[in-house]
Amino acid sequence: MSRPELLVVGGGIVGLSAAIAAAQHGAAVTLIDAAINAGTTANAGSLHVQLQSRFLRLYPDQAHNVEASLHLYLEAVREWDRLEANHGPFEMVRHGGLMLAENATQLKFLEAKARREAARGLDVDILERAALGRIAPWLGPQVFGAELCRDEGKLNPLTANIRLRAVARRLGTTFVKDRIVTLTVGDNVQLRGELGLYKADQAIVAAAWGSGRLLGGLGLALPSRAEPLHMNITEPAAASIQHLVQHAERSITLKQLQSGQIVIGGGWPAQSRGDDVVPAVLADSVLGNIALAGKLVPGIRELRVIRTWAGMNTTVDGKTALGRIPGAERVIVAVPGDAGYTLGPLCGRLASELAAGLPGEVDTGPYSPARFAAR
Amino acid sequence: MARRGQSLAAALADAGHRVFRHTVKGSPRGVFCGMGICQDCLVSVNGAPNQRACATMVTAGADVRRQEPRPSLAPAATVAAAPPVARADLLEPDILIVGGGAGGLNAAAVAARAGARVLVLDERKVAGGQYFKQSAAGLSALDAQQAQGAALLAAARAAGAQLLEGTEVWGAFAGPELYAVTAAGEPLILRPRQLIVATGAFERPLMVPGWTLPGVMTTGAAQILWRSYRSLPGRRIAVCGSGPLNLQVALELARAGSDVRLVAESAASPVWHPVTALALLLADPSLVSAGIGMRLRLQLAGVPVRYRTELVSVAEGPARELRATFRRSGREETLELDALCMNDGFEPQNEILRLLGADLSYDPVFGHLRCMRTSNMLTSVAGVYAVGDCCGLGGAPAALAEGRIAGAAAAAACGLTVNEDIDAARRELTRARRFQARLWALHDPAPRALDKLSEDTIICRCEEVSLAVLRAGISDGADHIGDVKRATRAGMGCCQGRYCGPVAARLVSEASGRSLIDSSFFAPRVPIKPVSVGVLLATQEALDVQA
Repeated sequence: MSRPELLVVGGGIVGLSAAIAAAQHGAAVTLIDAAINAGTTANAGSLHVQLQSRFLRLYPDQAHNVEASLHLYLEAVREWDRLEANHGPFEMVRHGGLMLAENATQLKFLEAKARREAARGLDVDILERAALGRIAPWLGPQVFGAELCRDEGKLNPLTANIRLRAVARRLGTTFVKDRIVTLTVGDNVQLRGELGLYKADQAIVAAAWGSGRLLGGLGLALPSRAEPLHMNITEPAAASIQHLVQHAERSITLKQLQSGQIVIGGGWPAQSRGDDVVPAVLADSVLGNIALAGKLVPGIRELRVIRTWAGMNTTVDGKTALGRIPGAERVIVAVPGDAGYTLGPLCGRLASELAAGLPGEVDTGPYSPARFAAR
Repeated sequence: MARRGQSLAAALADAGHRVFRHTVKGSPRGVFCGMGICQDCLVSVNGAPNQRACATMVTAGADVRRQEPRPSLAPAATVAAAPPVARADLLEPDILIVGGGAGGLNAAAVAARAGARVLVLDERKVAGGQYFKQSAAGLSALDAQQAQGAALLAAARAAGAQLLEGTEVWGAFAGPELYAVTAAGEPLILRPRQLIVATGAFERPLMVPGWTLPGVMTTGAAQILWRSYRSLPGRRIAVCGSGPLNLQVALELARAGSDVRLVAESAASPVWHPVTALALLLADPSLVSAGIGMRLRLQLAGVPVRYRTELVSVAEGPARELRATFRRSGREETLELDALCMNDGFEPQNEILRLLGADLSYDPVFGHLRCMRTSNMLTSVAGVYAVGDCCGLGGAPAALAEGRIAGAAAAAACGLTVNEDIDAARRELTRARRFQARLWALHDPAPRALDKLSEDTIICRCEEVSLAVLRAGISDGADHIGDVKRATRAGMGCCQGRYCGPVAARLVSEASGRSLIDSSFFAPRVPIKPVSVGVLLATQEALDVQA
């Protein structure tokens, strides 16, 4: 019997993880990537677990979806632990994440959030200023308190991407650079690209913001959107900041990589120039994002920012889309709901387990794309 | 004993210090570019890390130290107690000129004479640009070239142009809206009606094994040490690469007292180009006779000039001397040196133009991008002019003429009447361009072929990425320069890819068969130069107050 053939559309963290897992299950995998604005290549390496205040603020109607997915984030960072152990090092650490409050109201909000998260199994604590100062003496004097989520962490996404790509290649994955235009399903799956035609028994669509367009023809209205975001990095400094730092009310992620460089991001907008072109950096985002970082962590003010960049984040409806397409079951979609880099390896592996018909330890039912199927 | 007005780099060179710091990987670094490009001469001054010794002036009692590769963060309490960075100023001149060299200063003088409110920003402590390299404050002009630069500066000031020296532009956005930081660390927000970009060029190095060793520096860096600060890079010196600057600086250093042991030019001797040499003579007899005079003077000074001679490698000897190996007609010769100067052509400083989206095209003869302009020096972006070497190498005489044309056009665009003989400037420009083309036909202005380069040669001097690693990244599927950067870290350091970027672009082009265009090079990104978090914070606070 010949090996089952699997096509993976999208060579980001989801697609790579799917290819690796599928190859380990014995599939012959072809991974097709368009190399256009992949969020994975622009990612800044935060491992998110707690509810991101940015998301709650921007998409309040989707908050319940994220909250319902919290256990998925926990599973996802454990998946990263396994990847780090098997294919690392990715310069990964999980020293926890701090979400800062600058006044009593913000800390109250964090207390309520922490209760909801603890109820779903997250290891969280509320720290008053004195306790916070002991573990994070580099915080500005105005910081009032924080929520500590011990499950969070950080890694170097450049290293992880390179190593995982090498693993996929070693396991026999065929890499193709092409942009898939149409997807049809009959006795097999046929993908038509700008350069070639690809056929296989099954396909996993892990094309992030490009997935919706691709799946429209199958009657699925997946609302995947490209969200151009901004990031910054400084020159290196002595290792000081262990945690992933966020804010209760304002957009920021701040962390120090093993190189000593501080990466600052957290969802400040970049300017879209269309989905096919790298977004442009906006003055307001450089200034606003860095100014906030300099206030929260005053010790970095002497450091120089050496680079900014912009990349595409993908949003759906706050909840991951993972499962077979109703009516086109040979096609499996795998698009993380938010924090795609954190969820990527888990989503990829679960998608490949669905393809192989293996029982997974995570119930993917709640994430079925059936919710986007035409009625 | 450091002299007032000297840069730290010059004072340290006088004191015999060559190694200023070590990289994270332990490699020594010192002065390389001398002009704020390479970020290799970083030192810690009075406890503040990451200060460029080439751009920081000596002050009495300053505590200058070799900094840690990863300096400590300042304690939060210290920062909270420190005086805040001065509030940013918002400036709205009629015409903003970035770069106070040959082109920028002439543009400023013409536009200011027409009545425009002109602001010129220049990175160096004393403006004048790299061609006219001015003496530091307190020193008189060294020769006619410096005197001509001083006259240009005086003319721009006399016409009413405002000059801000020691001011570095870090951001350029649509508008145009620019952001800068002054010598005193004050942030500036600039919203001009018209913008003239006159940012010049920086030197292309000769990448060979050992080119990152302290003591190896660009020819221009050595020239700055001497012309601006009357310091010498060392006693025993060689100069290598290709182009007229190498000859000039070799003579200057020899006259200043250095023992210049060799000028190695990669091109053939002019006697092998009799037709070109004759054409040059016809194009501008005075410059050629100056050039022939230069050769004679070099001979008199006992400086050997060897053609078709290539630098092969540099190493450090047992007595910490540099051992530079040269190859000529298959024979190798090693010289013991204190300093090795290199210039192998120029790369335009086109960051502002690329950020603003001006159209550029690749010039294979010089191996870099050229900015497309109208005959009035207007780029494809409304209200944005460009003059001089930032548009692709053209030389100072062309930049002078282009500056006059752009200054007049920008003033006219502000609704002012210009009384300037632009036709004369256009004639000068034609003459200057003809001369440049012929001058460079005697040298090797194109980048060196990469196939002969040893695979262990460092290409990215910040992240210490070798040619072999770059090639491996490309053969592993990285088929755009952005992929190469992510796969190898080349271009991720403090010089922001200025040296490795052009090489990486060519490697990708060779591997993919795609010809070079604007997007073959690293995507233009702010900050144009590294800028501190504190400056960005102060800029944002000023904008908050304004709103």
